[in-house]
Amino acid sequence: MKPRRPRRRGAFTPYLFLAPGLALFAVFRVYPLLEGLWLSFTNARLGRAQHVFVGTANYARLLDDTRFHVSLLNTAYYTIASTIPILAVPLLLAVALNRGVALRTFLRGAFFFPFTLSVVTVGLTWLWLLDPVIGPSTYYLRAAGIPVRSWLADPNTAMWAIILTTVWWVTGYYLVIYLAGLQDIPRELYEAAALDGAGGWRSFWSITMPLLRPVFLFVLVTHVIGSFQIFGQVFVLTNGGPGDATRTVVQHLYETAFQNFFHFGSASAMAWVLFLIILAFSLLQFRLLRGHTQY
Amino acid sequence: MVLVAIAWLLPAVWVLVTSLKLTENIVRVPPEWIPWPVTIAHYGEVLFSSSRTARIGRAFFNSTVVSLGSVAVVVLTSAMAAYPLARMRFRGRSLIFGLLVGSLMIPNAVILVPQYVLVQRLGWLSTYQGLIVPEAAMTFAFGVFLLRQFFLTIPSELEDAARIDGADPWQIFTRIVLPLSQPVLGALAIFAFRSAWNDFLWPLIAVNKPDMFPLPVALALLRGAYAAESYGPIMAGAVLSALPLLIVFLVANRRIVEGVRVSALKG
Repeated sequence: MKPRRPRRRGAFTPYLFLAPGLALFAVFRVYPLLEGLWLSFTNARLGRAQHVFVGTANYARLLDDTRFHVSLLNTAYYTIASTIPILAVPLLLAVALNRGVALRTFLRGAFFFPFTLSVVTVGLTWLWLLDPVIGPSTYYLRAAGIPVRSWLADPNTAMWAIILTTVWWVTGYYLVIYLAGLQDIPRELYEAAALDGAGGWRSFWSITMPLLRPVFLFVLVTHVIGSFQIFGQVFVLTNGGPGDATRTVVQHLYETAFQNFFHFGSASAMAWVLFLIILAFSLLQFRLLRGHTQY
Repeated sequence: MVLVAIAWLLPAVWVLVTSLKLTENIVRVPPEWIPWPVTIAHYGEVLFSSSRTARIGRAFFNSTVVSLGSVAVVVLTSAMAAYPLARMRFRGRSLIFGLLVGSLMIPNAVILVPQYVLVQRLGWLSTYQGLIVPEAAMTFAFGVFLLRQFFLTIPSELEDAARIDGADPWQIFTRIVLPLSQPVLGALAIFAFRSAWNDFLWPLIAVNKPDMFPLPVALALLRGAYAAESYGPIMAGAVLSALPLLIVFLVANRRIVEGVRVSALKG
């Protein structure tokens, strides 16, 4: 297997290695992104062979689309309301696990396990747990004297049921990330603080929290980006109901394109609005991280 | 802490318990945590004789084909692309790598519609390739990032020695770099398997023949196929869908956790 043209082969080799992956990437990631931008300025529909440029009509229509506004508001509400539990629950668990409790690998595995499930499996699990008639949570809450309504059928609680479901699903993932962050903090800092008379609470606020700041930002931004795309939990648990109380942007996009109107142009405009919102958060992350990584 | 962890697992235990109960015992209040008498009838039903819209046995097979196919495509293309990005000098290297890392920020939901248009034009709707290739494309950039980090740590002396012995770049890649990278390739394979196995939104729109549904779609439709009180078959389907990753997870717990940890550094 002697190379025939040793000189020139060297120049092309890297590109030959890259070719299959870059072809995949260009056709199925880059092209759809740009095609989506073009579609958002057309009147494309499912099944319509030809479509024409319609300017910013799709974006203008979004300004009047009250269901889109409701979806945006719901998505923002979900994102904000879920942020505290998503930041705090895995952190508390990680700090507890990092104390060196017995069975650490088992415990970490127990919290991580739900994250290996699909969103549909998780949704069905909680649908059953929260069943208003025969679900166990209903029974135990009632037994504890707490009045139980149908969580998923009540516009005031439906979103919270979705948040609860999501927290159960993703906590293990963020827990692992927090644990990695905690393990990077030098033990000597805590020892020095203890010598200076700082208690556990004091060193948590003075050492752990400041040094975890990059991890916090990562978790926060990952969570926000993921939250703006929430779909599966809603699809399984409430299908956007009751009324439009849990309708989210991606669900509205999905229904506009594939369920009700088959209006690809309008759905693509929604997609780009969503993309710009997410992009803004991503850029914010870079700025914040750049400002805080040196310590 | 142990109590908290057990409580955390209770929802999953409840699903398993429900799937093993007789239908008349499922609806019994107060909740019974021991399924007695035990039955596997719900499993038989969803695997072999379920409704026309959602056959879990068939969906299990579809998910397996799609996930393994996607793993193969992702591991091969990412490894080939990551190798020159880590070990060779050439024009456009940092531009290509920058584009790939930047693309990690493209939300899947944003390219849903144009990807559908593309796959439809290719005639790939309701086919395995229509699921495998887009799923692989979703994971490709992450795979390059993960593998490149690892390839950077391989000592260059090994490659130099092979080059002196007359090995060409492809031989160095397949005989030296890949064998040394088995742990990270395994981590990527698990990551890619999990993404493809659990993805819901793309197959929901890309497949409209019931025979081609993967598990998440079939399960979501199973919910509609049964009346609200017959949770038995639905929970049996949920357990079946969780099994492969549960087994992988029990065997390779540490590797998965490592993969998550590296993925966190990508931002």
